[in-house]
Amino acid sequence: MNTVFALWKRGLKAFVRNKTGLIFSLIFPFFFVYVFGAIFKNDFIDNPIAYMLSGVIITTVFESALNLASSTVDDMVSGFMKEVLVSPAKRVYVALGQLLSAATVATLQGILILVIGSFIGIKFTKWSTPFFVLLSMIFIGIVFSGVGLFLATKVRNGQTFQIVKTAVTMPLTFLSGAYIPLSMLPNSLRFVAYLNPMTYATAFFRMIVLEKAHLSVPDLIKEGLVVEINGFAITPFMTFAVILIIGLVFLLLSTISFVNTDFSRMNRSATDANALWG
Amino acid sequence: MNPIIQVKNFTKRYGDFVAVNNISFDVEEGSVFAFLGPNGAGKSTTINTLCTIFEKTSGTLLIDGKDVSRQKSEVRSAIGVVFQDSTLDAKMTIEENLKMHCVFYNIPKKEVEERIGFVLKLVDLTDERKKMVSALSGGMKRRVEIARGLIHYPKVLFLDEPTTGLDPQTRAHIWEYIMRLQKERNITIFLTTHYMEEAEICNKIAIMDGGVIVAHDTPYALKKKYTKDKAYINTKNEEAFENLLAEYQLIYTKKNGYYKVEAEFLERLLEVLSIHKEHITNMEIKKGTFNDVFLEITGKKIREEG
Repeated sequence: MNTVFALWKRGLKAFVRNKTGLIFSLIFPFFFVYVFGAIFKNDFIDNPIAYMLSGVIITTVFESALNLASSTVDDMVSGFMKEVLVSPAKRVYVALGQLLSAATVATLQGILILVIGSFIGIKFTKWSTPFFVLLSMIFIGIVFSGVGLFLATKVRNGQTFQIVKTAVTMPLTFLSGAYIPLSMLPNSLRFVAYLNPMTYATAFFRMIVLEKAHLSVPDLIKEGLVVEINGFAITPFMTFAVILIIGLVFLLLSTISFVNTDFSRMNRSATDANALWG
Repeated sequence: MNPIIQVKNFTKRYGDFVAVNNISFDVEEGSVFAFLGPNGAGKSTTINTLCTIFEKTSGTLLIDGKDVSRQKSEVRSAIGVVFQDSTLDAKMTIEENLKMHCVFYNIPKKEVEERIGFVLKLVDLTDERKKMVSALSGGMKRRVEIARGLIHYPKVLFLDEPTTGLDPQTRAHIWEYIMRLQKERNITIFLTTHYMEEAEICNKIAIMDGGVIVAHDTPYALKKKYTKDKAYINTKNEEAFENLLAEYQLIYTKKNGYYKVEAEFLERLLEVLSIHKEHITNMEIKKGTFNDVFLEITGKKIREEG
């Protein structure tokens, strides 16, 4: 258990120390809010800034969780994983430590944006909302840390991984409804969006941030807070179940895969490390 | 003496390729053991298998009586490893790296402080404790890694080319630490190196080539067996000298006006020289080096690993 805690603390320390990274991780979300908020001014949404912000927060949590968990690749490239490998530390604990630190930092980033967002448009009327928002962020953070760690264990080359990661996160982010409302997507892309777990995560999170959980399903559809596939509405409960299942599957997969990965086979070079952190 | 590392009939195959072919050797407790060989000889495969990173194909490998493939956890607790490339966490300080290591090795919390102080003193890094690893020089990083490899008081310390890429002064220091360790704590040191003069300081040497151990002995015995001292002689009277050498059945080669004579039969050479002494203008005797041993055995020059 000490191993889990030590690795968790290590992730937090790295986050706090990387001031430049922190600032940029905050600039981009607000840039997106501004740009997309201006492009997709929408009549049927009451509070476009809050609508946009909630999407941006959850994509930030998603992206950081994925990036941080997969930065295990960086630990392989830098050799740190080799040190872990020859130690008696249990691999399961190492995997858990990496997962939890990624999820925690991702949640912290989400909270930071939320705090700043509260000055420009997000308002909670119920005392319980911040609590549920936090829970959802932690939940999404853990789910996508699992995905990230799983990807990391499948990597053989740091440079290729950078490309693969971008190729995975970009479409998942842009076809999730976070920036671009699903109703504005062409049919073919909308179909892709339906297969995207982030679509459900975004809808679910947005519903909680905007405090619309009490609305009936038809009202939620009208406000774009529930995914509807050919007239079939995925209710919030079903959404939650979908994410939970994806999360459990990837947590299991990533842990098993991590325990069985041969890290010594990793392609190591200085350029790899640069490509990963550049 | 008690063998702390025992390797019997160890073979490692990658598909059809045999990296290590049925090797056996023992390492005595408290000794410094050097593993030499050209690139691709199977050294790294052997050291990585002993460190529980690779799986063997067949054979028995024991460290402190524990099987490296079946009692991984016990073996890992008993060994310290310093890899050729840095495995430090560059984004953390020296102290944080050492503390992390203590967590991985289950060092009791109340001992951590004392142990960090001890290992840092050993490698003279007490004042650098709070420095970020990314700000350290190559030599300092290597010292931190040696300190880290020792903090859980291992019985065997594996050093994979501990001095490659370091300047001569740092190399000398690293060796000082290694020797100090062996004396003070009776730790067994298993190392690979490319520097022949370093191999000579060790108690025992094994030379690998093509997946097998081609020589295994003390440096002195290997040198005696595989090298010859050579005399380089300049003379004013070449004809008389050549006749003398022929008469005493000494083999020689002539190059740039020098006669190179194998000094294997020292008495005969001395006789020749005493007869011929008034004509000799210059003379030099070269001792056989460990590099000669290596060349003689493997037929290859040691190269820096890329």
